[in-house]
This record gives sequence, structure tokens and C-alpha cells, in this order.
Amino acid sequence: MAFQMTRRSFLQASASAALTTALSGWLVSGAQAKSGFVRKPFTAPGSFGDTTTVSGSFCEMCFWRCQLVGKLRDGKLVKLEGNPKSVDNGVSICARGNAGVKLLYDQDRLKYPLKNVGKRGAPVWKRISWDEALDECASRLQGVIKNNGAQGIAMFPHGCSATYPMHYFEHVVGTPNVSEASFFQCRGPRDMAYLNTLGVQADESVDMPNAKAILLVGTHIGENIHVSHVKQYLKGLENGAKLIVIDPRFSSSASKADIWVQIKPGTDTAFLLAIMNYLVKKGAYDKAYVQKNGEGFDKFTKAIAHADLDWAAKICDVPAAQIKEVADLLAKNAPHVSIHPGRHVTWYGNDFQRERALACLTGLLGAIGVKGGFVKGKGPKLANVSWPNIAGEHAEEFALHKKAEKHVFSPPGTPTQMLRDAAISNKPYPINACIAWGQNPIQTIPGQQDTIKMLQKMDFVMVVDVMPTDITMYADILLPELSYLERYDYFVKSGVQWNLNDKHQQYIAPRTPLVSSLSADHQRKDSVWITNELAKRMGHAEHIPAATTEELLDKVLAGGNISLAQIKKENGIHLQPGSDPYGVSYPVKFFNDELADAGYPGVPNYTPVPEPPKGFARLVYGRVPVHTFNRSQNNVWLNAEMPENPIWLNHETAHKLGLKSGDRVNLVNQDGVISATTSILKVTQGIRKDTIFTAHGYGTKNPAMTNAANKGIDDQALITKPAVDPETGAHGMRTSFVRIMKDGKVLNIPV
Amino acid sequence: MNNSKSNNHADFYGFLAQSFRYPEQAWLGEPYFDLLDSIVQNLDLDNDTLGLRQTYCANQEGLEILQIEYTRLFINATPSVIAPPYSSVYLDQEGNLYGPSAVWVRRFYQQNGFELAGDADIPDHLALELEFIALLIDEHQEEVAEQFLNEHFRRWFPLFRARVLSGSTNKFYSTLLTLVDFFTREEP
Ligand code: SF4
Repeated sequence: MAFQMTRRSFLQASASAALTTALSGWLVSGAQAKSGFVRKPFTAPGSFGDTTTVSGSFCEMCFWRCQLVGKLRDGKLVKLEGNPKSVDNGVSICARGNAGVKLLYDQDRLKYPLKNVGKRGAPVWKRISWDEALDECASRLQGVIKNNGAQGIAMFPHGCSATYPMHYFEHVVGTPNVSEASFFQCRGPRDMAYLNTLGVQADESVDMPNAKAILLVGTHIGENIHVSHVKQYLKGLENGAKLIVIDPRFSSSASKADIWVQIKPGTDTAFLLAIMNYLVKKGAYDKAYVQKNGEGFDKFTKAIAHADLDWAAKICDVPAAQIKEVADLLAKNAPHVSIHPGRHVTWYGNDFQRERALACLTGLLGAIGVKGGFVKGKGPKLANVSWPNIAGEHAEEFALHKKAEKHVFSPPGTPTQMLRDAAISNKPYPINACIAWGQNPIQTIPGQQDTIKMLQKMDFVMVVDVMPTDITMYADILLPELSYLERYDYFVKSGVQWNLNDKHQQYIAPRTPLVSSLSADHQRKDSVWITNELAKRMGHAEHIPAATTEELLDKVLAGGNISLAQIKKENGIHLQPGSDPYGVSYPVKFFNDELADAGYPGVPNYTPVPEPPKGFARLVYGRVPVHTFNRSQNNVWLNAEMPENPIWLNHETAHKLGLKSGDRVNLVNQDGVISATTSILKVTQGIRKDTIFTAHGYGTKNPAMTNAANKGIDDQALITKPAVDPETGAHGMRTSFVRIMKDGKVLNIPV
Repeated sequence: MNNSKSNNHADFYGFLAQSFRYPEQAWLGEPYFDLLDSIVQNLDLDNDTLGLRQTYCANQEGLEILQIEYTRLFINATPSVIAPPYSSVYLDQEGNLYGPSAVWVRRFYQQNGFELAGDADIPDHLALELEFIALLIDEHQEEVAEQFLNEHFRRWFPLFRARVLSGSTNKFYSTLLTLVDFFTREEP
């Protein structure tokens, strides 16, 4: 637009009566915002540009929680590093950890409470005040409680910040319908299998630095990066440990393996049973340990007697000689062998049994409490402070799997599949409110269309998050949370030095903010504040365990006879002497009565999984070192490193189909679901012909994630027929079969 | 140039800064629209400010429309937010907040004796930059203001403006962007 006058002439004329009156009228109205500035004389910074180091906190770019320091310049976080005091990750953090800086300043982050004045799935956002947002959440949740009872609320939590609100909804409000992706779409079967075999949590408690042999089943350390865990693994290899990797794909671990077993997907349990049967028959197991600590060993040996090498070789599509080689190698190095329990284990819906087999193999080799074996470091004690359990009984009574007498060995919470089915069908009772807190159920739970159906039928959906992930599009009220770099947390990271063979030390590392949580630029809050404010409005003020996160944290720390103030003085990590973790033994339930009584196999067994239909290959997924699934996709640095998830395809297959590396392709599953986006093909000798692999967590659909949206293929959208693990109720997600589509043409995968 | 006149000038920038804050009843009253009308008339713009007053002044429904539009344009939106009002998004390659240009802005504030009031505030928000110009002019530091405009503001504002205009037909913001352009553009 061409202006008729210049600024100069305007300003000269601005003494005009009308304008002067208007200006002074506006000025006296006093409707101007408070100034964003204060006066402060300038002092030139020194040569380091006034860089300061703030110690404390731990990383949350993944769940490993490496301890950090932040480098700040003028209030801006410029770099993250490992805390030099750390006896866990030390000064190292991984690529994702480094990129935390970019999460803090991500332009797409949620800033203010928002109300959806459009539709679920196609939201129109209006910024509202915290009071208005919380009032609405409280009254709508209370409405559901009034009509449907507390069990009418479903919750999908994830991460450190979600624990406190989760306890509130379970124990004070009284809903059993809490489903954590970390259990039901990740490690639930592992945790429950080890608890019901060795009587302890599995974690990743294998003493790899001091092992003589390491067995990884599907675990791909190197692509799957957790700093101290990688340190343990590499130290073990450096010390000469033999590495056995069972994987249909030439993973980064397979590339370092002494024996790589290119197994047919879904058959790992058969492989493990054959090894154990072979060792038992040969007498090459730790008889003393089994005699002393084994339960039901006779029943066990009988039940697996059929599993000979040829039987397994046929099922697993690997040579019998190789299975024998693995068994002999393990026996030769026992008991100093690390049988890795894995972490993400929700693969085929028969995963509890595979994990039981791993725990039994550990016991059979006597690889418990010894150098290189299954050993649990003895961490420091802390207090257990949370909401009082006043409504737990009510919750228990309405637990879906208990009512249906299913999934008797479920991890805490309600199996997701049951919860979603109940919510959609209103049977056995209606579930009409949904809370997602730090979890993106659209991408964590298989069967997206059902998840969306569930969200659409709710009376109320509330979402709390840091980033506008897919689930946020379905919120009625969307609340912005402070990131891990700006807040205190209820959860305290603690443990022991990374190498159990080093000087025994324990550490306590609370999360403290590296940058201020206050800013005129946003109104984000931490989860303790949000939950407390909600609780006040829902009539639970009297049960609030602490007014602020800091206060709560201090109570937790008091259990370890330490205070937040003291740890701050100690640069964010408190160290104290530890004790020798070796020499412990655990009972091994080779046969488990409780399982048998509940109608499940008392001895680990192998259930075959459906084969790919003709023309299809099985879709398996995994990790890449620079991403933690959905949560890191929008990060500019990480996105630049790996914007898409390559589709691994066997080279001979590719040749037959006329495909080459770099081709852009869609995937089409057995139900005709076509991936909404394309990705690039990686043609390789390093994958079986019956298997296609890609990295999980790509292809977010929310355009509000401006860097990540629609990049790569969302494997979860293709998992339309998840399996459900009978014992635990966890999902099995390597159950999809796919074909490749190029330029609109669907190509059959040759056998 | 006398004192009062100079303060006058500063107030126009203060007015523009205010205009890019979140729309609230408290500041979108008659006095605000009186001044907006008056400026637009003096500039001989053909923008329909009467319509704006009718739609947004003391009108709960209209205010809500403006709030939704502000949220969509500048805060969070689905599909994506149209135009984050920060220079870093336009000047720094990474398209993140608090990039190198924001660091430059903060240092420029400091060198001229101003610090942000909150310790974690993002320095390069449009409203803050306009308020800074107002403060400089109020102190008769026109040359510094010109330097700020020249070395920084004019490099990103047109990009920002273009993004708003291509993503929105809202008359209130298009009028105000015209005014910001008028008050900050380079003049011979
Ligand atoms: S492994 Fe990497 S992403 Fe995970 S906590 Fe450690 S530094 Fe962070």
C-alpha cells in the first residue's frame, strides 16, 4: 500500500488536535500492559560471554535419565552436558540428550491453556486462563464421576511428570482405568515374567562389563542408545565378552556379534527352549544352583523335552548346528553370562512366555549374583510420598481384567485393549472421560482407528503435554506443561555406579530447573501444581500431599536423609558409599504353580504366531540412535539428522521387484491400510526376505509439529491387528504384514 | 524538537506494541479504538476502522473471535501456527525460538541500558521489540532506534507480515501490520 504521507510528516502533524486528544485519551485510560523491560546499566561480559554452569536435573529426551549440567549464557540455555559428578553416564550424553536445548526453544511448544472451540480431531484453539481451564476440567470430570462413577475416567499417562497425577486419579479419585504405554506397549511382559520367575524386577540388570558372553534377543544396543547401558555393553566387548545376537536383521549389535542368528521373527521362544533342553540333556547347566534354588525343575525338563535342536531349527529357520553353537558358547562361559531381558518386548502377543524362558535360561546357567550375570545394584533408599490411597478399593472392584478374570498377570493398571474396548462398547460399564498426560496414545497404541473412535465418544478429553503431539488434536482442554529443563520433578533418579565392579557408590540426583520456569512468554506449569489445583476444585484439597513440587521432592529426599538444598550445594548429585551387589541368589520358578493354577502354561512354552500371507512380509520396527520415537521427531537438530525412517528390504527381493535404495515407497498392510506418507527404501543384505523393518515413531499427523509432520511412515498406523498377551494383557505389535507400493502400484513380496 | 512532541512519538510505538499483545477486554476499549481511528484517518488509509470498532470493542463475541485468531496466528494452532511473532523464526536458519538473532537483540537491549523484566523471557517478540523502540524514542535516542530498525527489525518484519497476510484475512491484524510497517519502514 502506498502511503499518502511520510512518517516524518505524520509525526509533525501529530500535534493535530484530534490525534492529540485520542492519544491522551488512550494514555489516561491506563489500558497498557506492564512494561516488559527494566532499566539496568550495561556491564560488558568477560571473554566467556558470561557463560555459567548450572548443575542438576537429568535428561528426559528418553527414559534413561542421564544426569546433566546446563551451560547458560545470559539466561539462554546454550548447551547440555553430562554432569562430571555422575557415576552413571559421567560427562557423556547422547545425541538426543544434546538436542534437549532445541526442545526448550521449539517454536511449536504449547504455551497457554487452550480450549477447543472446534471439533475433536479438527480443533480450533482459544487461549484461556488457568482458572477457566481448571474449573472446566474439574466440573466436566465431576460430571462423568456423577453419572458413571470414578471408573468412568480413563487415563493414559507417561513419564516422570505423570506419576503424581496418576496416583491422584487411581488412589483419590478411584479409577482403575489407567493404562501406561511403558507397560502395555513396552516392558510389561518382561517385568511380570521376571517377577514370576526370579521374584525380582528385570530392569536391564545384566552385568555386561564383567560378562564372558552376552546374549541379545532382538535388543539392538547401538541403535537403541542409553548412555550407561551402552557403556556397560562396550566395556564387556572391550573385555573380550563373546556376543550372540538373535535378530532377523543385521542390527548394529549383529554387526559386532560373534554369532548372529538370523532368526525367523516370532520364533525366539522355540530357540530358547531348544537351548535349554539341549543343556539339560547334556547336563551342561549349573546343577548346584538349580538344585538349591530351582522350583519345579522336573516338570520343566519334561515339558521342554520335545524341543530338540532339529525341531527348533525348522521353526526358527536357522541351522541346528548354530543353535548348538550358541548353547555351547553359553555353557562354556557360564555362569558369567548376561542373558539380556530386553526392554521393549511387546512383540507377538506370546511375549510373557519368551521372557519367562529368558529368566529360566538365566537360572539354568546359574548366572545370578555372579560377575557378568543377572545382578542388581543396591541403590539408595528414598521415601515413598504420594497421595493417600483412599479410593483404591473402589478402583480394584471395577478393574476390567479382574471383573473378566483375564490377564491375571497384568502389570499395574488396566490392559489397554480391554480399556479401549470397554470405552467404545460401554460394557461392562461406561467410560466417558479421557485424560492423556505426557503420552500420545495415537502413536503408542496399535489400532489407531479404535483409539480415535474411543476419543470421539468421550464426554470430555483433557490432555497435558509439552508438544502438540497427535493426541492434542483430540483434546477439549489442552494444558501446557513445563519441560524437564524448566521444572522440579517428583521423581528422583537414583542408582549405583555404571560398572558394578568399580568402587561401590550410590547416587541421588533430583531434577532441578536449569532455566527459569517463569516467563511473560508462556504460562506453562508443572504437573504437581496442575494436579493440586484440580484436586482443590474436585473437593480433595485435604489429601494434597505437598503444596509444591519442591516440597514434595524434599519429603522424598528426606527418606534418604538428604535435602534438596544440600544436593544443590553438592552440584546436583549426592554420592554415598554403596555395597557389594554380588553373591545374591534368587529362586528360579522353572515351573510356576500360580501360572498353572490360573490356566496358563506353568513351564515356558512356544505358541506359533500367524505366518505372513502370500505376497506379504512381516513388519518389524525398532529404534534409531537419534530419536526416541514420537517425542523427538520435531526437534530441529534430530530431525535434520534423520528426518525419515528408511524401509529395510532384502536385496534379492528388491532386485526381483525392480526396486533400489532411495526409491520412495508406501507400505500397505494386510487390511489394505496404506501408509499416509512415503519413506525411502533401504535395500540391504542385512534383512530376511520375510521381514521388513523400519524405525518406530515417525509420520506424525499433527501439522502443528512443523518439522516432523508427515515425514516418514507411521508404523503404528499399519498395526491394525495387534495381538494381546494372554497372561499380561499387553499388546503384541509385530503382527502386521505389509507389501510395498511404488508410484501407486502395489508389489507382492516374493517368497 | 520539544519534549512533549518526542514523547508523543514514543507513544505511537507503545500503542503498536500493545496491539500485538493478547487481545483482552481491558485494553480493547473505546479509547483504544479512538486512537486507532484517529491514526488511520490521519494517514488517509482506506481501512474500515469503524467496522473494527463495531466487531471488537466491548463485544464479547467479537473479542472471542479475535482471541481465537491471535491464538491461531501467534501461539498454537492446528494445522500449524501461522506466524510466530519472533525474529528468530524468520532470521535464523533453524526456525527455532531464541536463535542467534534473539541473542543479538537481547545484547542490543542490554547495551542500551535495558534488561527484560522476566529472567527467561524470549527477547525478540514483536511486542517487546516495538516497546523497546518506544523506550528509546522516549529517551530521545532516535539514532539508536533507527539502528535497531535498520540492523534488525526491517530484516524480519516484512517476512512475518507476509506470513500473517497469506494465512489470515483478519482486518484488525492487517490494519495493524500496515501501521507497524508505516512506523518502522525506511524513509529517504
Ligand atoms: S540416553 Fe540420551 S536421551 Fe536418554 S537420558 Fe541419556 S542423554 Fe538423554
